[in-house]
Amino acid sequence: MTETLLRIRGLSKSFGGVIANADVDFELPAGGIASIIGPNGAGKTTFISMVSGHLKPTAGSIEFRGRDVTRLSVEKRARLGISRKFQTPSIFPNLSVWENVELAVLASRRRPRDSVGRIAQVLDLVRLVEFAEYKAVSLSHGQRQWLEIGLLLGNDADLLLLDEPTAGMTAAETHATAELIRRLSRELGLSAVIIEHDIQFIRDLRAPVTVLHLGRVFAQGSFEAISADERVRSIYLGKA
Amino acid sequence: MSMAVVHGRARGSRPGEEVPAAVLFLILAAIPLVTSGYVVYILPQYMLYGILAMSLALLWGNVGILSFGQAAFFALGGYALGIAMKQPLGVNPAYVGLLVALAAAALVAGLVGWFLFSAGVRDSYFVLVTLALSIIAEQIAVSQSQWTGGWNGLFLMRMTLTLGSALEYPLYEDIPAYYAVLLVMVVTYTALRGLTRSRFGKILAGIRENESRMTSLGISTSLYKTLAFSVSAAVASLSGALYGMHSGFVSPSLGGVLFSTEIVVWVAIAGRSSLLAALIGGIAVSSISNLMSAITPQYWQLCIGILFIVVIAYFRGGVAAALPSLVERFRSQP
Amino acid sequence: MGSFLGVFMDATLITLVLALAASGLAVVFGLIGVVNMGHGAFLTLGAYFTWAATQAGLPFLLAVLVSALAVGAVGLLLEIALIRHFYDRPFETLLLTWGMFLIITELIKIAFGTDFRNIASPLPGTLSLGDLQIPAYRLVVSLFTILLLLGLGLLLFRTSMGLRVRALVQQQESAALLGLNIALLYRQVFTLGAALAGLAGALISPMLSIDPYIGNVFLVRSFFVVTLGGLGQILGGTVVGSFIIGGSETLFALFSSQVVAQTIVFVLAIVLLRFRPTGLLGSGRR
Repeated sequence: MTETLLRIRGLSKSFGGVIANADVDFELPAGGIASIIGPNGAGKTTFISMVSGHLKPTAGSIEFRGRDVTRLSVEKRARLGISRKFQTPSIFPNLSVWENVELAVLASRRRPRDSVGRIAQVLDLVRLVEFAEYKAVSLSHGQRQWLEIGLLLGNDADLLLLDEPTAGMTAAETHATAELIRRLSRELGLSAVIIEHDIQFIRDLRAPVTVLHLGRVFAQGSFEAISADERVRSIYLGKA
Repeated sequence: MSMAVVHGRARGSRPGEEVPAAVLFLILAAIPLVTSGYVVYILPQYMLYGILAMSLALLWGNVGILSFGQAAFFALGGYALGIAMKQPLGVNPAYVGLLVALAAAALVAGLVGWFLFSAGVRDSYFVLVTLALSIIAEQIAVSQSQWTGGWNGLFLMRMTLTLGSALEYPLYEDIPAYYAVLLVMVVTYTALRGLTRSRFGKILAGIRENESRMTSLGISTSLYKTLAFSVSAAVASLSGALYGMHSGFVSPSLGGVLFSTEIVVWVAIAGRSSLLAALIGGIAVSSISNLMSAITPQYWQLCIGILFIVVIAYFRGGVAAALPSLVERFRSQP
Repeated sequence: MGSFLGVFMDATLITLVLALAASGLAVVFGLIGVVNMGHGAFLTLGAYFTWAATQAGLPFLLAVLVSALAVGAVGLLLEIALIRHFYDRPFETLLLTWGMFLIITELIKIAFGTDFRNIASPLPGTLSLGDLQIPAYRLVVSLFTILLLLGLGLLLFRTSMGLRVRALVQQQESAALLGLNIALLYRQVFTLGAALAGLAGALISPMLSIDPYIGNVFLVRSFFVVTLGGLGQILGGTVVGSFIIGGSETLFALFSSQVVAQTIVFVLAIVLLRFRPTGLLGSGRR
């Protein structure tokens, strides 16, 4: 029986009078991948922000490995293994790719005995070994996304919260990213919650899809079921 | 690029300041052997300014936190030692004074730092607060005249190095005092350099580069910033205590805004990212200033002001950063 | 002065004089976020220009006007030459304007020497209000300050220029889209701030002995006045902030020495800043 890594009940967030999220239930098993889609303004980033700790919910609860983390600070959650990749890649632009990952490793809660080997391993996973000496600012947008994922890996994350990881990537890079995430889940037992717009990428993930609309969970299911769902199509086209 | 390069990384960072630093220390060590008189008397005070500059470089260059309050801790050190040395204590009062200077500075910086950093006070607001700290330090020095002598200042004696009853080595003469200060300078430089290259120093650099990212990687940035502030304050305090002991006198203006900003000017011009540059900058600019103020104080200060603006506007890294590129350009000329 | 009314009057006068000194920074830092560490130097310049003008025989009011305009011109020059390139970099602005302060101060020392200068009060004597003796000049300057702040408020809320500035403050990106000439607006506001500082220095000059560093006393205090009062709150914020930094010192000085009172005020200011970084009247927008 796989452990439930993430259990979210009734998560809600409102800003003044604006309701960003209402009553969201969500579960993720350990080693599982889930994608979150929905039209703009559906509350996807707000949802992820509450899971990572950057926003505090107005109602509801978040449990990570059975522990209530709803009110925990960002850094404490990161130390538990919840790590986030931002929509605009947040890396260390003036440091080299190597130094970027090195920082993530130094900051991690379980510091490996062979940090150099670990850094090399991470760079290999995100295909940035040739760029180790390059300043991060000189990387392409797609490479920066990978570097950021590399930071999360170096930081010993168990749950990766990825906000639009393939934005700005070529089709080949997008495919490689999906492969990477599936490999991380399969071989390293990492879990991931991914916000995305790219249909091909979501299909490649072969993972359950949650559709958010107006802050609420609109539909949940496999990619095939969701893509066949007429109601989902219509919220994107604005009929609902 | 291959795993060979990757393993090359494991051997440590590129060679940096070690050789120039060693050269500097050797030159300074040789000076009393080739000359005597005023230079040997006054140079330790400039070396202590150099240590003070390093304390700011640690905070500003490594963590990216600008403080206009280093002078406050400098004065704190001087007064702590001065007051301690007047007390009838069983142990060598100078040692007690130094310990108090370090501890008091670290404590004050720790409390104030945590108070501010935990609330996210940063950048210009932090500068404003450190300016206020300098003013407060000056005011306390003036108002608590029964301890500090008020505007008249406090007189200090040279200390004596003791080791139980086995050793008693007074620093009254210029040459012993010179080498004692030089030793402290070398040790402080080495310790700070080691700190910046340690895990602690690298994380501080990460905070400078992208603080929110460091938080998302699990680091309590407020804690690290507070620790850096404390270390920086302790170093400033140490240099202030030794300065008081060496020059024989501390006064409230040593802790005030104008001196604090002088330190910022030294480090900005010399280069905040390099401890060695800040050290040299502190020694060089203050000694040249002293020389020039005998000749033409206002025009010198004017030059410094203009140089400061030019550096900030065009050479953000100071002389230390501009030098390599200038050398490169010079080398590439046929 | 033991009576309550006397203390109250003292505190009010000091508050308003500080508000006058801070008004230029309220405009430059409070409105458009320029960390002008040269603010104190503008004040000092205003005082020295006034001294020079009165020495040259100009009547006081004319000297004040000329000084304010002259300092405004200096501010304009500096804005064009230097400041305008760094609006998006507050840290560099902070350091550059500090460099400006260093240079201006040295130029003042070279031109005027370091001896204290004095300007005779244009309105000597005191006004009697029952038992109270209120220095006449201070009273007039305080009243002027109130009018000035009201005028600035009017400028901000009732004129088209003020409207443009407010649009700029609130939404910089959209302001550009609306066709506002941002560079020109910044220039105008900065020049106004410099002129206000010069005006303040000019008006305050008869109250103090003038030396190259008199503006400094007001520099850090002005920053605290503006931040504690609330960025952008020209009228109410400046007065509230000035009371915290200036007026309250008078009250604390009743129980202790002047220096201790000053210390308490600064500690209080730091604590307040930490808990209410947007200021007492601020809206938290910056």
